[in-house]
Amino acid sequence: MSDTYFTKDHEWIKIENNTGIVGITKYASEQLGDIVFVELPEKGSQAEKGKDIAVVESVKAASEIYSPVSGIIIDTNENLNDTPEVVNEDPSGDGWFYKIEITNSEEISDLMSEQEYLELIGD
Amino acid sequence: MSEVIQGFEENLKKTPLFEMHNSFRGKMVPFAGYSLPIQYETGIIAEHIHTRKEASIFDVSHMGQIKITGPMIYDAMERILPISFSEMYPGQIKYTQFLNEEGKIIDDLMVYKSTEGDYVWLVVNADCIEKDLSHLNLYLNENYTIELIQDRSLIALQGPESSNILCKYFPDIEDIPFMSAGWFDYKGQHFFISRCGYTGEDGFEISIKDKDSESFVHELLKNKEIKLAGLGARNSLRMEAGLCLYGNDININISPVEAGINWSISKERIENGNFLGHEHVKSDIKNGVSKKLIGLNLLGKLPAREGADIFNLDKIKIGIVTSGGYSPTLKTPIAMGYISEDNIKENDEVLLSVRGKLIPASITNLPFVKHNYFRGKK
Repeated sequence: MSDTYFTKDHEWIKIENNTGIVGITKYASEQLGDIVFVELPEKGSQAEKGKDIAVVESVKAASEIYSPVSGIIIDTNENLNDTPEVVNEDPSGDGWFYKIEITNSEEISDLMSEQEYLELIGD
Repeated sequence: MSEVIQGFEENLKKTPLFEMHNSFRGKMVPFAGYSLPIQYETGIIAEHIHTRKEASIFDVSHMGQIKITGPMIYDAMERILPISFSEMYPGQIKYTQFLNEEGKIIDDLMVYKSTEGDYVWLVVNADCIEKDLSHLNLYLNENYTIELIQDRSLIALQGPESSNILCKYFPDIEDIPFMSAGWFDYKGQHFFISRCGYTGEDGFEISIKDKDSESFVHELLKNKEIKLAGLGARNSLRMEAGLCLYGNDININISPVEAGINWSISKERIENGNFLGHEHVKSDIKNGVSKKLIGLNLLGKLPAREGADIFNLDKIKIGIVTSGGYSPTLKTPIAMGYISEDNIKENDEVLLSVRGKLIPASITNLPFVKHNYFRGKK
């Protein structure tokens, strides 16, 4: 059983047990435009909820990605090193950024449901 | 995700093509006080590549068009501009700069020598219009009329197919050389068309009465080779072409020799002088300058943006990036920046500081992508 949650900063996290997969939303990828580089966190590094953990470079500018929850980075999407455009093509699937082992499951209650997020972006 | 700039600021001016940009779903952003499209639906990379392959239309109506008339107009303008009008044929345009007394760049611009020999037509940067007008008013007396054109849009048509398409409307346009201009009629309207641009490709800048600009753009778009392109592609195209952007690569603290654009200054004028900043330009050429604009090929995929520090391999700071981004043609990040003169050697490796990481890059000559200007019929 997995659930996907969202942040007001346009990240998504798909949670299964105490592990989450994080990416950015379709809306975010459209706002950024053509993505040419994703700076991923180091495996084993600590993520803090709401703090920058990755950087997306689009043709336009650099944008920081904030971690939806605190935890330890257990895997990153190495495919993005060679094909960062996957984030534009499939932001909620193959364009994921990292896997995180959640250290404080109480933080999940601060996240938004899909419906709440869609209302936020006015969809 | 940190916030992406949006065009919702109040008090932004609109060009006459604003509604059209919206109807083509342009992503509007604030630029030089205007709301302008950074891209349309296909995105910056697709627009960039299309421009290099076929042709694109850019709305550059925010730029300042200035007409100056008065007695002995060319003598008067030569006090302000470091070019020689006697070396220009009627109908020619030249890239030049307004320099201050210290020989630093107030603005860079295009100047047109009219075929009738009685006026000059300037195209200046939007952000510099006010200071350019003050500068002109300071150095031209009351016998000269300085008119900021308020009722004309400016459209850039850029790319290798530009000429084939534009000559359907203006048959005489096909043979005019690059860097020349003139007045052309279509459907009873006067168009001021110059063969120049900011992409490194063949192309034209078309000055049209505001009321006619949208319908003319729609007419051009009937040609399947032509698409709209936004500010994002305009920037990546000009960077590949190694062309300076005022506010980034050149500004009031930079001299033309430092920026490597002194090719645009007349050799005869450097000898004989009598233009603002002359002594400084002459001395810069004779004695050299402490820093120069160079190109940088980055290794890896991480782009370095303006403001990134440049270090030598001993990690001593030697300069700063003034423009940087992704090159859709070369499929790699590129940058332009200033480094101290004694560190400049082509292919030398340097390090660029991006968010605390040091990215290797090699020094290269500009442009990154060869210019493809029209040099006359083969």
